[in-house]
Amino acid sequence: MLPLPRFQLSRPTSLADALIAVADGAVVIAGGTDLLPSMKHRLFEPARVVSLAGIASLRTIVPQERGLVLGSGCTLRDVARDQTVLRLFPALAAACRTVATPTIQAMGTIGGQVALDTRCVYYNQPAGWRQSVGGCLKKDGAVCHVAPKGTGCYAAHAADTVPALWLYDAVIQLASTAGDREVPLRDLYGDDGRTWLGVRPDELITSIALPAPASSVVHRKVRTRAAIDYAALLVAVSRSDQGLRAVVSAVGPRPIEVAAATPEALAEAAHEAVRPLGTHLHPVPWRRALVRIEVLRAVNGLISP
Amino acid sequence: MNDDQPRIDGLARITGRAVYVDDLVRPRMVVAKFVRSPHPHATIVSIDLTAALAVPGVVGSMVGDELPVKFGPIPVGRDETALAVGKVRYVGEPVVAIAAVDEETAHRACRLVNIVYEPLPAVLTLDDALAEDAPLIHAEKRKATNVLRRVHQSHGDVDKALAGAAVVIERAFSYPGSTHVPLEPHAALAEVEPDGRLVVYASTQNPHYLHKDLAVVLGLPEHRVRVVKPAVGAGYGGKCDPTSVEICSAFLARKLGRPVKIALEREEVFYQHRGRHPAVMWIRLGLNADGSLAGIDFKAKAAGGAYASYGVVTAYYLGVFLTLPYRVDHVRFETLRAYTNEPPCGPKRGHGAIQPRLAVECALDEAAAALGLDPAAVRRQNAVPDGHVTANGLVVGTCGLVRCLDAVVLASGWNERRGKLGPNRGLGIAASSYMCGALHPVYDDAMPQSAAVVKLDRSGEVVLFVGTSDVGQGSSDVLARICAERLGVDVGLVRVVEGDTSLCPVDLGSYSSRVTFFAGNAVIAAADAAKKRLPEGVPWLAAIQQAEESGGTVVGVGSYSPPKVGSRFKRQSVGPSPAYSFTAQVAEVEVDPETGITRVVKVWCAHDVGHALNRGSCEGQIEGCVYMGVGEALYEEQAYRAGVVKAPSLLEYRVPTVHETPEIVPILIETFEPAGPLGAKEVGEGPQLPTVPAIANALYDAIGVRLYDAPFTPDRVRKAVLAASKGAR
Repeated sequence: MLPLPRFQLSRPTSLADALIAVADGAVVIAGGTDLLPSMKHRLFEPARVVSLAGIASLRTIVPQERGLVLGSGCTLRDVARDQTVLRLFPALAAACRTVATPTIQAMGTIGGQVALDTRCVYYNQPAGWRQSVGGCLKKDGAVCHVAPKGTGCYAAHAADTVPALWLYDAVIQLASTAGDREVPLRDLYGDDGRTWLGVRPDELITSIALPAPASSVVHRKVRTRAAIDYAALLVAVSRSDQGLRAVVSAVGPRPIEVAAATPEALAEAAHEAVRPLGTHLHPVPWRRALVRIEVLRAVNGLISP
Repeated sequence: MNDDQPRIDGLARITGRAVYVDDLVRPRMVVAKFVRSPHPHATIVSIDLTAALAVPGVVGSMVGDELPVKFGPIPVGRDETALAVGKVRYVGEPVVAIAAVDEETAHRACRLVNIVYEPLPAVLTLDDALAEDAPLIHAEKRKATNVLRRVHQSHGDVDKALAGAAVVIERAFSYPGSTHVPLEPHAALAEVEPDGRLVVYASTQNPHYLHKDLAVVLGLPEHRVRVVKPAVGAGYGGKCDPTSVEICSAFLARKLGRPVKIALEREEVFYQHRGRHPAVMWIRLGLNADGSLAGIDFKAKAAGGAYASYGVVTAYYLGVFLTLPYRVDHVRFETLRAYTNEPPCGPKRGHGAIQPRLAVECALDEAAAALGLDPAAVRRQNAVPDGHVTANGLVVGTCGLVRCLDAVVLASGWNERRGKLGPNRGLGIAASSYMCGALHPVYDDAMPQSAAVVKLDRSGEVVLFVGTSDVGQGSSDVLARICAERLGVDVGLVRVVEGDTSLCPVDLGSYSSRVTFFAGNAVIAAADAAKKRLPEGVPWLAAIQQAEESGGTVVGVGSYSPPKVGSRFKRQSVGPSPAYSFTAQVAEVEVDPETGITRVVKVWCAHDVGHALNRGSCEGQIEGCVYMGVGEALYEEQAYRAGVVKAPSLLEYRVPTVHETPEIVPILIETFEPAGPLGAKEVGEGPQLPTVPAIANALYDAIGVRLYDAPFTPDRVRKAVLAASKGAR
């Protein structure tokens, strides 16, 4: 068995204690479905890990007058089965059900989705494997194998639920010992696969606020197998009074949003905006060709739900 | 045969009570881990173990120079050492083993081993390997070449036959490398008994061969070695070779005086590999105007990785089964298996016979289409008859191919549905034949290849001792049923003791689809011999007790040596078998023409199993074969980037899940093979042979495009559709 590195685990029962732990350098574990495999691969070898499992307040789903607030510790299964989510944010529930497998959905959390590490075929590998390619820009190396001439890391955003959350105008609530703040999800992500997440190490995602839905959303995930796999491409589209919007993800460190008036213009805009790289095993031209196809299919899903 | 009873090992397996190697624990046991090469080809300059050995809990180490004795699964391919000696030949090759009190400590210590390498030019493709000035992977060999084996055979006059054919199809094909993915990774636990004898518990398909290899490599008399095979979580050919796992655990157990366990991680299974050889192929296949097969001209080159494994045999298998399942008098083939700086390839379900099926079945389909003939009818017309002797001297016993073809044609609605399924949906057909055990063992001697001892206990229990290796396929269950059938008792009375080279008589192992056939015949002989001791007309218990009173413990011994059939063409030892199974398959596929994503909807598979000794197990093997074929057709590829396995994990090496697995309709055809045990033939490998070409031919029916390169990934299918639509304009 691939062993975990040794670490000290704390399991606070209050948010305040958890915030003190992260302020002190502990790494957060929620569902652990991404962190633990990555630790086994020695991508992270934290001395201290703080579990959020004991903090009941993070696992609530609180309907608001028009929207709702999801505790970051809600599992994907909790979210996918919640009646308010199903009624107001069906594309989010659908997206939760496309994550990995039912067992992962029962462990993985919605906060973990928002904070999910970017992924790459050169990065998400065991330690010995990474040594054989000399590491990569994101971990232990000086070169991005995906774009050797570039200066950045192109590891791709991989969270299945984020495009839907984006189009539902989710707002992320962050807490730390220094104070709380709110960030719209769409402003949370950056352009480099190493620093993609706008959450400070001393901050915790406490909840995700979803305002009353202003648009209908359709989510699509392209993958080889109907279970287990991360996305080869993620697309979510929405229609509102302002027109059509699309968020395309799994193509780079941050999801990419485009807007247009017609489905064809939207697909074309997405195709122009997106430049997938070799972060996945799937051939790059195929993934790029899929953008247009999947955006159109998603829009068709809006028209005839 | 009684089909209503569940498999004798079923409950233990599904309730988690079966004991696998990694479940075993011994007092003072330590675990060892490997440090593996990060280079595809490099000289080992130095190895510094100082820091690793200083880790508290580390108890010892092993390096290649400590045991430079070469081994390999067959005598003509002994080129491996337990750990790399002098240089490394693939990324992932084990170089150092570190033993420690627990796995975590061993892991930590392994990361502190400092090995200095000097990289050598690497051979990363078949073309690299065959280049004039290619770096030599095994420079110590007599011939300065990376070719392990070339095989060239010609029967009849192929050029003349093809010149007279009504249509000749000439095409190039490629077949991907793939790996076995047994659920249980390889594992071994070695311990030295108080009297100095070595016992190795191993997850292996071939305990007997492993026993011999351990004795040779460790320099021990064979009677001082015992191999025990606990429950095994599948092999599919991946657990045929002797490997570093067993040999290093045994060496370290003797060196350290403590039991040593090595259990591979999933990643390591991809490095140890021994999987399907990727092959590039070229074929010329002709049909005469009357639809008869005129001839086959075939070439194949297989990239085999850094060590020989069974690669010499693979080179033969790529060609020798071209003469089945269709009658063809004019056949020529040139095959080769080369070394590359990649993990070694070896035997995988359908060993070497799978790749050429893609070329033959697709070319035959194309030729039939060119003549306006029904692909199913052409296959039926060309099926070999009972008792046929092939151009290369293979002697067919019973042949149920026509019945198999008729069964899948009927079940799939071939005649009514083909070409009428609407756009992007199609049906394809393919057929094949496979051996029921290799006639010749890997080393030549005149002793039986399978043996059995049946002991009738005075309690009424029947104890069947067989040296077979049940790796999950259900061989013990089938042998127990055969034994019970011959004795006329319920299978519940039979206890099978197997997979132990000290307790059981010799069986050569679970490979070449031989166990039911060879060991089954041995069990019949043993059971009949035991039964002869029993007085007639007396109830079971009384009969045993009377026999024991009169003549002591009631034991029957039996063995099986296959008949020396076949005109050993050019002393060819690969291909001949006492019987051959036959398979026909129809696959139905659905293609998304925009994305290229293909789904196999349903597969009908009719297999001539001779006699189904356990219908559930036979159907399970058919389902497993089709499943594996679907994986190789659409999803799986053991691919490398600069010698590094691209996806050494079950996350990215995408075996089909239940969602991708088609509905499978197994149809058992029984021809009661006279040479087989109770008429049975093999079913564990043959049914995989037609799956990939059946899917390829179904793709053609669906989208009107032929694909020559497997796997048929969405990218390739999409490109094919686009190219076809451009051509149509």
